[in-house]
Amino acid sequence: MARMSYRDAIRETTAEELRRDDSVYLIGEDVGRWGNLFGASAGLLEEFGPERICDSPISEAAMTGCAIGSALYGMRPIAEIMYIDFITIAMDQMINHGVKYHQLSNGQVRVPVVFRTQGGVGMRNSSQHSQSLENWFVNVPGLIVAMPSTPADLCGLLRSAVRSDNPVLLIEHKSLYFTRGEVPEGDYTIPFGVADIKRAGEDVTIIATSWMVLQALAAARTLADEGISCEVIDPRTLWPLDKQALIDSVKRTKHCVVVTEAPAEGGWSGEAASVVHEHCFAELRKPVRRVCGMRTGIPYGTELEKAVVPDASWIGDAARELLA
Amino acid sequence: MSDNEQLMELYTQLLVLRHFDEFCYDLKMKDLIMNGFHPYSGQEAVAVGVCSLLREDDAVFSTHRPQGHSIAKGSSTRAVFCEMLGRRGGVSQGIGGPMQWIDKPHNFFCGSIVGSGLPIAAGVALAFKRQARDSVAVCFFGDGASNTGAFHEGMNLAAIWKLPALYICENNQYGEAMPVQEFVPVSRISQRATSYGLNGVSVDGMDVEAVMNATADALEQLRAGQGPVFIEMVTYRFRGHYGGDPEHTYRSREEIAVWRNRDPLTLARTRLLARGYSEETLDDLEASVRAEIEEDMEWALEQPFPTVEQATDHVMIPLGQD
Repeated sequence: MARMSYRDAIRETTAEELRRDDSVYLIGEDVGRWGNLFGASAGLLEEFGPERICDSPISEAAMTGCAIGSALYGMRPIAEIMYIDFITIAMDQMINHGVKYHQLSNGQVRVPVVFRTQGGVGMRNSSQHSQSLENWFVNVPGLIVAMPSTPADLCGLLRSAVRSDNPVLLIEHKSLYFTRGEVPEGDYTIPFGVADIKRAGEDVTIIATSWMVLQALAAARTLADEGISCEVIDPRTLWPLDKQALIDSVKRTKHCVVVTEAPAEGGWSGEAASVVHEHCFAELRKPVRRVCGMRTGIPYGTELEKAVVPDASWIGDAARELLA
Repeated sequence: MSDNEQLMELYTQLLVLRHFDEFCYDLKMKDLIMNGFHPYSGQEAVAVGVCSLLREDDAVFSTHRPQGHSIAKGSSTRAVFCEMLGRRGGVSQGIGGPMQWIDKPHNFFCGSIVGSGLPIAAGVALAFKRQARDSVAVCFFGDGASNTGAFHEGMNLAAIWKLPALYICENNQYGEAMPVQEFVPVSRISQRATSYGLNGVSVDGMDVEAVMNATADALEQLRAGQGPVFIEMVTYRFRGHYGGDPEHTYRSREEIAVWRNRDPLTLARTRLLARGYSEETLDDLEASVRAEIEEDMEWALEQPFPTVEQATDHVMIPLGQD
């Protein structure tokens, strides 16, 4: 076990995969000279050279299409979209092309691309650099959507993503880069579709994703002092979804809160809540509660950007109401 | 091969594409081909001239009007008929339809989002370059594509990284129903390539030998690792944007007649006659090509439609096997 930051887990895992397999390369805006905005690829240009750490022009359609095209012919690109907000420029290449080619080729073509990006609040970047857009992608048949919340999960999911022949969207969170945790040594991978119980509990199940997992854990600590025992579950991949883990937990606790930074309407939080309602209707004491970001553009400023997305107090209030 | 034999071979391919397209048009009018069929009739010299010089390991990316490119790249007419008809046995097993299929053994891809192929072709070219292969990625697109972001993004990337990508703009004079001079402010689309440091050239896309000569020069540069090439092929589609479109709303019969006088098949045939082939030989050739294609069509019409199970197959590689 090594203790490291989420940011360093990205860099270490990327470097290990680049060393392991010559066909892996990283492409993105300022992944080389800058070593990524957060330092998540610092030093890799020096070790691997510009052919494998490719600084791309600010040109998301080009970079994404390039990654897809090269993946058709033996390369295993990691395409970094600097902010998830920029992914709108790349979506035609991803959704209409990269994700469809396996089916259109009757299974003859594989597209082993990892789309790495980051979303959410935390850098006071306002409405076009802070969104949580994961919901759009969960609705795309053929695309795996991963949202690791810890350095260990990042490491295991990123490694699985690089080695998968399916296209994978891996969404990091800008407020997680400098959080720290233990990362298992060695060739650590996490299969897609396996949730993790981040905290075991008896009274209420809190299903949370990405940075919201940390908020849920903070809420659970506060609630524990009040005698409420929370189970915090992180699905880790939004699709495929580990339905059984959610169902097993809620059947025990009989109460459920779903937390996402993205707005609730039309989103994955509704999918998770539906799975629970469909399978745990008899056990539930009350309907599932959703705690989600407000339906607004993310405003500018330290206080305001945090005020429109859930925190531990929102989650705590929801759990208390369920158990009241 | 002598020049005469070569032209005879090109002419045969032109006939294949023309008759294939005309049979497809009839099938569309009978609603046996459903939606999405975009006739290629009139533009055949481009597909034939370019693809006649490609190797099997070269990759081709095409458009919503892909049938000519695909057959010229080596796809069987039976498989393409089946795809048009949505039948099992199609290049994408009847799932993709007339605008999007993949023929991996022939390294052929296409898709119906205008302009989107340029970045992907750049990526294929990047893989070829990294692997030190001398294969090239060829990307066909239309005049309309030259206004999309992906066109400029893709060409820029290929240019800055000197990738072996051959960009073929088939200027057929219309983006759907809109005349090209209304949506492109320069007289030649190849002028756009110069802003990426490329020698954009414009070629008579109705003349199969001119297309082939320009392609030969391009391939020499590409295989020598000297970066991408852009060629505008000036051509015309004889039929509507899609099979059965209201053509009269955007172009006149007179205009069509002027272009039909420059039919690429007639041009090639006239040249063959001048080089000593007889009318009878060429008529017999055409009759035998047509008969063969008709037979392929009849075969395709006998093939089954995919089942729902087949239609939901291969959405992704099953987890654990990926």
